[in-house]
Amino acid sequence: MIKVTIDGREVELENPVTVLEAAKQAGVIIPTLCYFEGLTPFGGCRLCLVEVEKLPRLQTSCTIMTADGMVVRTETDQIKAARRSILEFLLINHPLDCPFCDKAGECDLQDLVALYGPEAGRFAEGKRRHPESFDDPIIVRNMERCVLCTRCVRMCDGPQGAYAISVTGRGSHSFVEPFSGGKYNCEYCGNCLTVCPVGAIMSRLHRHSYRPWFVEKEIETVCGFCGVGCSMVLQMRENSIIRAIPRAGVGFNKGLLCVRGRFGYENVESEEQLTTPLMKVDGDLKPVSWEEAITFITESLKEIKDAFGGKAIGAVASGRCTNEDNYMLQKFIRFVLGSNNIDSSARNYYAPAEAYLERIFGQGITANLISGIANSDGVFVVGGDPTAINPILGLQIRASCRGGGKIIALGAPGGLKRFVAYELMPTPYSEEIILSAIVGRLLKGKALSGENTTVEAKLRSLKIPSDEDLGMTGISSEDIVRASDDLAGMATPVVVIGPDIIQRERASKNLARIFLLSERPNYQGVMDMGCLPDFLPGGRPVELEMFRHQIEGALGLKAPQDKGLTLFEMINEAETGGLKALYVMGENPLFNIPDSAKVKKALGNLDLLVVQDVHLTETSGIADVVLPATAWPEKEGTFTNLERRVQRVRKARRGRMASYGRDDWKIIADIAERFGMTKQYLRVEDVWEEITHVSALHTGLGYEDIAEGKAVWPYCGKPLRGMEGDFSVEGLDGLPRIRGSKKPYLMIERSLYHSGTFSRRSKALLSIYPEPYLMINPLLSERLGLAEGEKARISNERGVLELKVKLNEDVSDSQVFLSNTFEGAGAMGLIGFGIDSVIGSLYIKDNTVRVEKVRV
Amino acid sequence: MDIFEEIRALSEKYPDRRGALLHALYVAQKDAGWLSQEALNTVSNALNLPQATVKGVATFYSMYKHRPMGRHLIQLCTNVACMIMGAESLVDFLKGKYGVEPGGTTGDGRFSLVIMECIGACDRAPAMLVDTDFHSDLTEDNIVEIIEEYK
Amino acid sequence: MEKFLLKNIENPDSASLEEYQRVGGYKSLNKALQLEPSDIIAQVKAAGLRGRGGAGFPTGMKWDFASRDVKFPKYLICNADEGEPGTFKDRPILEKNPHLLIEGMAISAHALKSDRGYIYLRGEYPYARVVLEKAIEEAYAKGYLGDNIAGKGSGFHLSVHQGAGAYICGEETALIESIEGWRGQPRIKPPFPVNVGAWGMPTVVNNVETLANIPLIVAIGAEKYSAIGNPECPGPKLFSVSCCVETPGVYELPMGITLKEIIYDHAGGVRGGRKLKAVIPGGISAPVLPPDGVDCPMDFVNLPKRGSMLGSGAVMVFDDTVCMVKVCWRAMSFFEHESCGKCTPCREGTGWMRNILKRIEGGFGRDNDIELLQDISLSIIGKTFCPLGDGAAGVVLGFIKNFSDEFRYHITNKKCMVSKDL
Ligand SMILES: Cc1cc2nc3c(=O)[nH]c(=O)nc-3n(C[C@H](O)[C@H](O)[C@H](O)COP(=O)(O)O)c2cc1C
Ligand code: SF4
Ligand code: FES
Repeated sequence: MIKVTIDGREVELENPVTVLEAAKQAGVIIPTLCYFEGLTPFGGCRLCLVEVEKLPRLQTSCTIMTADGMVVRTETDQIKAARRSILEFLLINHPLDCPFCDKAGECDLQDLVALYGPEAGRFAEGKRRHPESFDDPIIVRNMERCVLCTRCVRMCDGPQGAYAISVTGRGSHSFVEPFSGGKYNCEYCGNCLTVCPVGAIMSRLHRHSYRPWFVEKEIETVCGFCGVGCSMVLQMRENSIIRAIPRAGVGFNKGLLCVRGRFGYENVESEEQLTTPLMKVDGDLKPVSWEEAITFITESLKEIKDAFGGKAIGAVASGRCTNEDNYMLQKFIRFVLGSNNIDSSARNYYAPAEAYLERIFGQGITANLISGIANSDGVFVVGGDPTAINPILGLQIRASCRGGGKIIALGAPGGLKRFVAYELMPTPYSEEIILSAIVGRLLKGKALSGENTTVEAKLRSLKIPSDEDLGMTGISSEDIVRASDDLAGMATPVVVIGPDIIQRERASKNLARIFLLSERPNYQGVMDMGCLPDFLPGGRPVELEMFRHQIEGALGLKAPQDKGLTLFEMINEAETGGLKALYVMGENPLFNIPDSAKVKKALGNLDLLVVQDVHLTETSGIADVVLPATAWPEKEGTFTNLERRVQRVRKARRGRMASYGRDDWKIIADIAERFGMTKQYLRVEDVWEEITHVSALHTGLGYEDIAEGKAVWPYCGKPLRGMEGDFSVEGLDGLPRIRGSKKPYLMIERSLYHSGTFSRRSKALLSIYPEPYLMINPLLSERLGLAEGEKARISNERGVLELKVKLNEDVSDSQVFLSNTFEGAGAMGLIGFGIDSVIGSLYIKDNTVRVEKVRV
Repeated sequence: MDIFEEIRALSEKYPDRRGALLHALYVAQKDAGWLSQEALNTVSNALNLPQATVKGVATFYSMYKHRPMGRHLIQLCTNVACMIMGAESLVDFLKGKYGVEPGGTTGDGRFSLVIMECIGACDRAPAMLVDTDFHSDLTEDNIVEIIEEYK
Repeated sequence: MEKFLLKNIENPDSASLEEYQRVGGYKSLNKALQLEPSDIIAQVKAAGLRGRGGAGFPTGMKWDFASRDVKFPKYLICNADEGEPGTFKDRPILEKNPHLLIEGMAISAHALKSDRGYIYLRGEYPYARVVLEKAIEEAYAKGYLGDNIAGKGSGFHLSVHQGAGAYICGEETALIESIEGWRGQPRIKPPFPVNVGAWGMPTVVNNVETLANIPLIVAIGAEKYSAIGNPECPGPKLFSVSCCVETPGVYELPMGITLKEIIYDHAGGVRGGRKLKAVIPGGISAPVLPPDGVDCPMDFVNLPKRGSMLGSGAVMVFDDTVCMVKVCWRAMSFFEHESCGKCTPCREGTGWMRNILKRIEGGFGRDNDIELLQDISLSIIGKTFCPLGDGAAGVVLGFIKNFSDEFRYHITNKKCMVSKDL
């Protein structure tokens, strides 16, 4: 126990901490500038000087550690004089342009000068000049205001790990540089904005348009961009979002946000938001009243149900909608219309991968805490760049590396480039062979524990590739040995699985904590809510009578007992005429599912296509009825993130036009009522109430518990489904054939700066990544005679696209990358798909493209 | 051995490749006499260090140049000992004779003049380095003779 | 006094291993390899050697701290940054007697159980680099460096790491940052380099001259060594003497010799028989002394009593033709140029003071400028991250204290007190 006295107050400390932290515990606030919680101490600004008895010099409290018996004074005349002179020094080169500076009002320097500063400066010489820089999208730099606390650099090199900025120059000619147009891997996370104490690094959004004290309202909510679910605060003025900021101490993201979360909110303020229901009249969508639209939908659905039965109707749920929205859709389709045909784009990878893993390891295998990754001693990253798909989760992997963890990537490491010990870059589509080989090696090295016979039996049945099989992959058996040994050597390994590799999973030991990357904020919730053809809310198989009866009892409604159709099956059925109506909520299948032409044909074949969305999309463009819904910051409800944490989403605004949009769950409840559903829901809480009664995963969980951030399921819910009555896992005994191709494969780029089509109306994100481009390796570009910025034509039997070329050394030269974001230029359009017979997931096939230069 | 390889080889002297950075920057500067963005990128790639970090380091040390330099680099000391022994008038003299300001380059690109802090030749002040050669006890007469040796 | 550090350097071949061995070189290393590491440390402690880099920290004590740390590997770094203006004492060792340094480092490494060393050589000494690298090669060839030194089993590898023009890299933690490839800014202490130094490992940083003293201590023993010069900080000392003396140069003399002896008996007195106006005894960071300060013994004990310090032992002599305001201004523009920028007072204060001094020197001084300078200096002193900023402020205070008349004359008369045609 360490005892110290600070300004006469005694503090007892378990462990030595800095004097600054001890003072905080004693309730003594010491002024600081370069100190920032969570960053490595710097000790440069010298504002936090204190007197320590027996030490001759003043000491910086942010760096000096407490020792037993220490006596510290923090506010003597000597100290005040020192602070005054430090502030006078800082003002020498500071422009004193507070009247124009957006930071005024929340500027540390301004506050400190008010507290300790000199009345007037005595500096009579010219100040150093440095032009304000607008080289970057989103961020504006004014280095004349910089006080060189280096908090931004320590943030960028520390928690963010982007290494995009550095102090350049020396002495008073030092400037923080150089984001400069993305030249240096800037990830535009904006975390430097959080830490900058003055107005040196500022957002360009809303520049000069508001002052911090204009903020009228702050809403604590969860980011709507991806499945990490970072906590954030939306600051509002006159019903408009003026800023999204993280709040230290709230949420597991610990004050960090990524570019999408911080700057992407603007897309919901887009002029293009739907304002009224639309109905197709003579081939064109025309505005109609809500009453007209709802009546039409109800009647059409009734007709179809009467003529063909509930099974002719299907629905697509959404990873961007809340649990409540999805639950209601599921209830309507399943219990009101009597169809189990409900699925979502989680079918693309997330749902089947989770199902597959659960079939091997049991339910909940992917329920792991994101914050635990940083403490693991190794991470195996497979099939996707976590730093782009789930950025804040990616930061945890970087943190694990900084803490000595070994990061191994199968596939291009992307934003983990500087963090991986090494990467295995196999030829396309051979990842599974590599994984099987690794598992094979692991099985040889470690005898199975015998604790879990089912799992072990499955592992034993795995076909282990021969050296010859390996030969095709471009990865040597030495590499496999190295990777396997490294994995086996990890005490607390983490496996991160991305969308690009969904099939078999390595299965060494249950020790591994598995994370599935989730592109959408609520893929997990979609599944938990039973928006799956084979599962009821709470992850209960629809085919198991016991579970079905339980839920039917709770609701007083019946559900069909057979599995429904998956998303892809629904499309096939629509194509062949078996499916007559599709109700799409917050999804854009025409753009987000491979082979757009096929999807378009199928959807065109329907008798009724209803789309509920915020904007007009490719899919709503061909719908019979389009209903305007609320966007993420206008919603109340909950999301469940990829670690299965249920979090509150709160309504921030009724924006310019959003008052026309209605909550998704409400629209559906309205229609369901016309079908005779008696239950009334006044508020979103009523929907949640019902969920907690129906879903065994959510039993007893109120909004208040969720608000505390502790709702990671399974909590007080019923026990999870066990391993008994297990499903057989087929197909473990084969290996995929590697499809060689002279033509490059078209792959989906999952960019940090976009989130599918959700972000394509965000001005901020567009300013970084404004148009679709084809990312290719410099070697390939040389072979094709295509230089950076030139136009390429890519084509296959599904279509033709013309795009600008961007070179990227980090991608393989047998692949080209294109995002699936921009209207008319989505990668999905040229990609073919098949459905895996074992786990029902989509697999990509026939995605080679011809790439040639467009001559002008 | 190209520059990339040369830089790679340097890192063997250090437990962490980053240690070779200062040396690598010298190697990258050797041919052109200054560090272009391209040269910095070569260093960054060879040592697998972030470009921003390399830039930050390269601009901290005054012997790395970030603008094109003349074929020869005259580094004239004007610190106290050299100043007292007449370095300032040598600066004026060079300006008059060759039209070159401190920090500048002659019109024909033959040499650049840089003012140095103490170069450790105070006993034979004023002194200068031309490229890597020391010259001391400078006067207006001998400085011309010396400079004329560098074409 | 018999020369040890600069022994044989008049010989044009003094830098060669052959020549070095001819005059007795590497005998101490062979002797040291027979000794237990702890015995060598004890000897260096007993000898009373204090670091020659400026701070005068007892070398044996530093070694003791490092060798007590259980972490390995340990690094030995020779500080050959020699950046202090007026200092050029390490240069003759580096350029003309490199094997003395290598021998000193090999012995030190044995004592510290270090197997890896670097010589941090300032960028401004390109020739020294050539000499050192050649000498290191020779030493490897002869087995004085390598995996198995002199066949005795212990190994030591050595290479040159060249700085690139940053005075602050002479400060040991900034130097370590620089070796690791970062911007050369000082680190937070504690932990001290002896525990957490280069790459997080125990690291000893010693000046060239300090390490060059080690073979002598091993050769003659602690007792004889401590009899040289002032018993409180004994040993031979290199003094670089420059500016207004007849014969500037590096002099190897016993520690504690007076300034007066150095200037008049060794450096030929003030040039042209002029009047002595001021002396800086320890490089530009050491406060200036008035003429009556010359009776002060040159060592780590006596100079502080006179308000200055031994620093690097660089004696800068100014006669009556030199303007003190101008010297003070030039010194401050050096500090401003070399401030690393990490801490506020040094980064901002040095530039401010340079501006004021420039204006006084140029005849635009203002009435309260002297007080302002003093005030700024006091605002800096004791609040900087490392001693550079403190030093800069101390220099100004020293000049003002001793030559305030000259400053005031500049301000009131808008011109220099020293007539140009003196
Ligand atoms: C600003 C500053 C510059 C320094 N420059 C040098 C230098 O050029 N050479 C040197 O040996 N020590 C220099 N030192 C001292 C070193 O920090 C350190 O004390 C010394 O290398 C230790 O070696 P020693 O114990 O052998 O003296 C400097 C210190 C400071 C604060
Ligand atoms: S005193 Fe401060 S700014 Fe100056 S060199 Fe030291 S750390 Fe850097
Ligand atoms: S907060 Fe301690 S020195 Fe800046």
